[in-house]
Amino acid sequence: MQTLGIDIGSLNIKAVVLDEEGPIGTSIMPLGDEVGDSVHAALEKATTEAGLSLDSLPVVATGVGAKTISFVPQQKSITTCLARGIQYLFPSARMAIDMGAESTTVIKLNERGRLTDWANHDKCASGTGLFLQQMAKLMGLPLDEMARLSLQARARADITNTCAVFAESEVISHVHRDPPTPKEDIIAGIYYSVVSRIMSMCKRVGITREVAVTGGAALNDGLVNILEQELGFEVLKPASPQIVAALGAAIVARENSEKGTKK
Amino acid sequence: MITAGIDIGSRAAKAIILKDGAIIASTICDTGPESVKTAYATIDSAMEGTGLALDDIDYIVATGYGRVLVPFARENVSEISCHALGINWYYPSVRTVLDMGGQDCKAISVDAEGRVTNFVMNDKCAGGTGRFLEMIADVLGTTLGEIGDLALQSRQEIPFNTICAVFAKTEAIAYLRQGISRSDILAGLNEAIAIRCLNLLKKVSIEKDFTITGGIAKNKGMVSKISEKVGLEPLLAEDPQLIGALGAALFAQRKYAGKESVKEARIQYGYNDGTGDYFITIDLEKCDGCGECVSACPASIFEVVHEDSRQSKARVAEEARKRLSILCPGYDLCHRTHDNNCQVACQKGAISLSW
Repeated sequence: MQTLGIDIGSLNIKAVVLDEEGPIGTSIMPLGDEVGDSVHAALEKATTEAGLSLDSLPVVATGVGAKTISFVPQQKSITTCLARGIQYLFPSARMAIDMGAESTTVIKLNERGRLTDWANHDKCASGTGLFLQQMAKLMGLPLDEMARLSLQARARADITNTCAVFAESEVISHVHRDPPTPKEDIIAGIYYSVVSRIMSMCKRVGITREVAVTGGAALNDGLVNILEQELGFEVLKPASPQIVAALGAAIVARENSEKGTKK
Repeated sequence: MITAGIDIGSRAAKAIILKDGAIIASTICDTGPESVKTAYATIDSAMEGTGLALDDIDYIVATGYGRVLVPFARENVSEISCHALGINWYYPSVRTVLDMGGQDCKAISVDAEGRVTNFVMNDKCAGGTGRFLEMIADVLGTTLGEIGDLALQSRQEIPFNTICAVFAKTEAIAYLRQGISRSDILAGLNEAIAIRCLNLLKKVSIEKDFTITGGIAKNKGMVSKISEKVGLEPLLAEDPQLIGALGAALFAQRKYAGKESVKEARIQYGYNDGTGDYFITIDLEKCDGCGECVSACPASIFEVVHEDSRQSKARVAEEARKRLSILCPGYDLCHRTHDNNCQVACQKGAISLSW
């Protein structure tokens, strides 16, 4: 059986087509002004890749924007979808850290892969992907270049503010200091500020190994490196961390259909 | 007797000169990148036209964020105490002050003598500060001076679910693109900020009379939203932005006359950041500055300071204030792993945590 999962984030739309073998079609599309159009485009791309047509597939939607689309009747919370996706990819994971553009979510799973606890942060840009983007703009460096440079850092510049706006002034003062703080160290300081925010959420739900990372910011090696240093162990990294919640949604769609046929 | 108060804020520097208890000059300048230069430029601007020179002023007190870098000031006093004393001079009946500055927001309880009895500050989040409004004005293609009146023209305000400066900016841009009017966007933001101010005020208790000080108190749209939320009409000073400087000048008068300065009673350090409230309250009447909390805290967030001629008191270290929720897991979680912590160590029971 084939099912479809779609995750409507604040920046990107992710879609996954799943069959018994695993994902057979995926897509990641930027969110445009018309949510409906972007969703259709993302679904179209994923289903075409899978060689299927959209009409025949059971669909589940998740993510902050799921409520804004009316043509997907089945919806599931992002925490549940993340849990399903992570359990599918890494059965040993007991915790997942989802680092999205405008929110950070930490979930805890039991041995059966079911969600037991979670913490979510979406009211403030500190510790989110948008914070990293803002800093990249300020430093005049692309995100991947920043990540690469951070791995060469010898120290972490002190960024005491968690607020993105105030942290920006701190970064500027580091750049204009005499002598200026090395770029690598400033970037490591920025990453550390994001990580400390994430760590405080992890501590709140209790850190349990193994820990997986998901979301767009999980693609950032520099950030993940500092997160691993703070956790004291290595994390599990999916090959495509951005689509984990969409994959989970497709799994939920499959579970729902199976429940339906049993009746 | 001629005294002066100078208030070096994060965005604007203010000064007031008093002669025998009456205001003879005042000024508001931009805060430049160099604090010392800003301080001289501000006092020079205040003295302009008065015929006074710096030496003619008997006593100068500095306050505000840049108060330690005013070379000609004899003393510096916290802006909280200055706002309390300053507003007391205008309106002795005021018991609750909301100070909305360039980079922070404070709620202060004041007694009839202008002493601070309770105080809470949010300086960790740019949401709702002057800096935030500047950013928004910029996005909307208008100026800080105009947004107040613009918001009042709103017919249907747009709800904002966060006042994070970064998110709100993105949201505002999206609304503009959808063709929503600037006044409706501003009114929605003001509403969100007013709710946050109300929550801050509730932490110190809201009592009549109420006032708003700081630069944002000049923003009519914001003031009307806040008075609607708080349910009290604020008694506004002639220029609410000058209250800190006025308080400093009044402190200078007292100091010159050899009087003991007034003390703060309780201080709350912390913030609210959307995930919850993180406040540490230190009762300065109970605290004897013994320093037990300093060694007890596993995250070393306390320090003991000796200010002016007062007794030593504990406080939350400056660098820890904006990261409380990250450094400190809260009383319950801390107590599980550490037998000794701030509340246990404090014999006088002066410390309490909100989480």
